[in-house]
Amino acid sequence: MIRILRELWLFFWRDLTIARTYRTVFVLEAIEALFGAAVFYYVARFVDTPQLQHALPQGGSYFAFSLVGFVFLDYLNAALDTFDRSLEEARDSGTLEHLLVTQTSLPVFLAGSTIYPFAATTLRIVVYVAWGAALFGFPLHAANWFAVIIVLLATLLAFSGLGILSASYLLLFKRGNPAKWFFLGVSSVVGGMLFPVNILPDWLQVVAHFNPVTYALDAMRSALLGGANVAGLWRPLAVLLLSALAVLPGSMAVFAWALRRTKITGTLTHR
Amino acid sequence: MTEPAIAVESLGKLFPPARSGWRAFLQPFEKSTVVALAGLSLEVRVGESLALLGANGAGKSTLLRILATLLVPTAGHARVAGHDTVHHSRDVRRCLGYHAGTDHGFYPRLTARQNLLFFGRLNLLSNAAASQRISALAEQFEIRNALHRQVRTLSSGTVQRLSLARALLHQPSVLLLDEPTRSLDAIAAAEFRRFLKSEILRPGHTSLLFASHTLPEVEFLADRVAVLDAGRLLACDTPSALKRSTGAASLEDVFLHLTGRGAGSSERSIAE
Repeated sequence: MIRILRELWLFFWRDLTIARTYRTVFVLEAIEALFGAAVFYYVARFVDTPQLQHALPQGGSYFAFSLVGFVFLDYLNAALDTFDRSLEEARDSGTLEHLLVTQTSLPVFLAGSTIYPFAATTLRIVVYVAWGAALFGFPLHAANWFAVIIVLLATLLAFSGLGILSASYLLLFKRGNPAKWFFLGVSSVVGGMLFPVNILPDWLQVVAHFNPVTYALDAMRSALLGGANVAGLWRPLAVLLLSALAVLPGSMAVFAWALRRTKITGTLTHR
Repeated sequence: MTEPAIAVESLGKLFPPARSGWRAFLQPFEKSTVVALAGLSLEVRVGESLALLGANGAGKSTLLRILATLLVPTAGHARVAGHDTVHHSRDVRRCLGYHAGTDHGFYPRLTARQNLLFFGRLNLLSNAAASQRISALAEQFEIRNALHRQVRTLSSGTVQRLSLARALLHQPSVLLLDEPTRSLDAIAAAEFRRFLKSEILRPGHTSLLFASHTLPEVEFLADRVAVLDAGRLLACDTPSALKRSTGAASLEDVFLHLTGRGAGSSERSIAE
């Protein structure tokens, strides 16, 4: 266990050291976050009405609702994208083969390679929210930060399985991320990211109730905007953990099969 | 009896045929029919250096990649330091240093030292032990001045040396080198061979299996030479014994004679 933790740290150290060589990126991303928060603020000012605020599940302004939806999308994107992107980068740079002849394993490499991207995404979200709070009145006074962290971790667990499936697809077919394409596409319509699911037609609301993103977003908004505690969020957290239980073991089995298949076909490092 | 450093028994490897267009989508599930290795058996003794000699596509890299646990064989068994490459791959990798001459695989934005430290620590070296080995190998490979520079700024020859240093970092008992001097200039290649022979092979603890197209390199480094053709082992013996048994004057003639690719054999096949 200690060895695995040490290896995970090594991958994080590698990515952090590489990221530090691109010194201006953080500043540019912080500026980008400022513009992003401003766009949501002014769109919200344009569309916000008392009726709209009443229709929002947690109440409050549309700005807060949409900004949480947007930053959550960023997180979901990271969960779906990071595994296969790490694998693709290692394969294209030629480091994959050399990693695989060390004492580490591909699953540890994949898990380790996701730590920095998740940390960077979390930091980006913090910057977005900080700009929103400092300049545009994003309400942070009620936030239950412990619950927010628990929801984020549950979200990671719930959606990492899909990311691992994407990595398996990449191993076999070399390009493309259909899980991300399908899941983000469906979730942007029925996940409640930029509008509440209760405005959807009945049949799409049924679809939304089977989509874990709906529960993750609901829990996130309740914790961040409504100050809900972990006990009060048991239902969406249970759905997320059940989703993780349903998808993660299967995705790991698929990944192990895909890895063995590429070692048989000799295409592990093919581009 | 001492366990050989490498034992390969009736090793076979088939690959699916290469496809293009929409059929490439089905390639991961295609039946493997293209022969890369056909029942290959050989041994490398502890402390021995064995060269793989063969034309492109003879199966040299496939054999090295199976031994490095990067490929799963279709038939037969391969063992490194007594460990099966399929069932005990982690144990195999612990004993193994692997260098592929074609793809160095470093992080270009990290310095040479950071790259070596990263790979050394993944091979279970402590921070202090890795640093010590990096300093020692940097001296031997004359890359001390390159250690603090990002890999993207280094010449291909220096990156090649760095790659060889990486393969030796954790002091493996078995070294697999695929065209080890491919990107080195003549002087660097000669120095590397001397270093390999005097520092790595002479103490007798490290076994070497390497593929090379450079025949003087093969003669200089190899105790024995395995001649491969179309995935089959044609002969495996000391260079002098191979010359004697084939009546050839040079290793090149041995190779041409055994593979039937010599001028004489071409003329024969034309005549036939």
